[in-house]
Amino acid sequence: MDRLLAFIEGSAPALWVRGESTEWTFVFPIVVTLHTIGMGFLAGGSAAIALRILGFAPHIPLRAMARFLPLLWLAFAVNAVSGILLLTAYPTKALTNPVFYLKVCLIAFAVWLVYRIGAAVLRAPDADKRPVTAKDKLLAVASLASWIALITAGRLLAYTHKWEMLGIPAII
Amino acid sequence: MEMAAWEALIRSTAFHAFIRANEPWLWPLCEILHYLGLSVLLGTVGLFDLRVLGMARAIPLRAIHRLVPWGIGGYLLNLMTGVVFFVGHPDQYFYNNAFRLKVLFMAVAGLNVVAFYGTSAFRELATLEPEAEAPVSAKIIAGTSLGMWVAVLICGRLLTFFRPPFFH
Repeated sequence: MDRLLAFIEGSAPALWVRGESTEWTFVFPIVVTLHTIGMGFLAGGSAAIALRILGFAPHIPLRAMARFLPLLWLAFAVNAVSGILLLTAYPTKALTNPVFYLKVCLIAFAVWLVYRIGAAVLRAPDADKRPVTAKDKLLAVASLASWIALITAGRLLAYTHKWEMLGIPAII
Repeated sequence: MEMAAWEALIRSTAFHAFIRANEPWLWPLCEILHYLGLSVLLGTVGLFDLRVLGMARAIPLRAIHRLVPWGIGGYLLNLMTGVVFFVGHPDQYFYNNAFRLKVLFMAVAGLNVVAFYGTSAFRELATLEPEAEAPVSAKIIAGTSLGMWVAVLICGRLLTFFRPPFFH
């Protein structure tokens, strides 16, 4: 494991992201910024769709709401690429931290829900012709909960790494 | 760099002392809330802006406008958590060029909101039929909104890379 981590950490893409192989050291800030913009549109757009299903903004046609799905998939693509770059730059920080594996599981669940809500609710053949079912609402609540958990895990990834290094603050 | 009177005043408050005493849990909590708030803002106001710009035209503007109060909620959450950050470490924000740009973009976004609701732009949009194209004035306002909120996010994310070279 240690040898694998050292290999990734010393690879050319890792050096490039960390700004150690070029004069220009702004790759890492750009990558984390893209990751945050992608998060905003993917999590926020999913939340807007979930709010619609839960009955807020009830006059938005579900079928029309599906037109925003390609934007969410684009945001997911941006975050998959930027996420892999961040992982390549600092593999030890992520791969030795249980929070990282939790985050990966949450990504799988949240992204599956985007697909599922798109297929079973927004693009259902009888969408807008039948009332929203309890099952639709359950998917929406699960989506909201998974994005909240996912953003929390993402942010805690930075802090738990610090706590791993320096010890958990006594105040907690 | 000598400490200015306004900074000494902030640092003398109980609020500042509370933030610093509880920083190990309060800071991560506020950051999580700040990220949730920005997502809600981009996901609601951002989608409304995109609709005005011509995306998902089958959605009536009046219907998607119902999401905007959630965006205002996200904005207020971020304003409150942002105040915690600033009061906790005023020097790290005030003497930071990314922060100054962020405040500038927030001000432009705020004036843009005034332009949207204060002129005829909003009333014109509210009467449009579904599928109808928004007038150019509304599109300019929506484009400005989307651009400014993304710019605010970018400046916020880059704050940490433009820290002043001193700590008070």
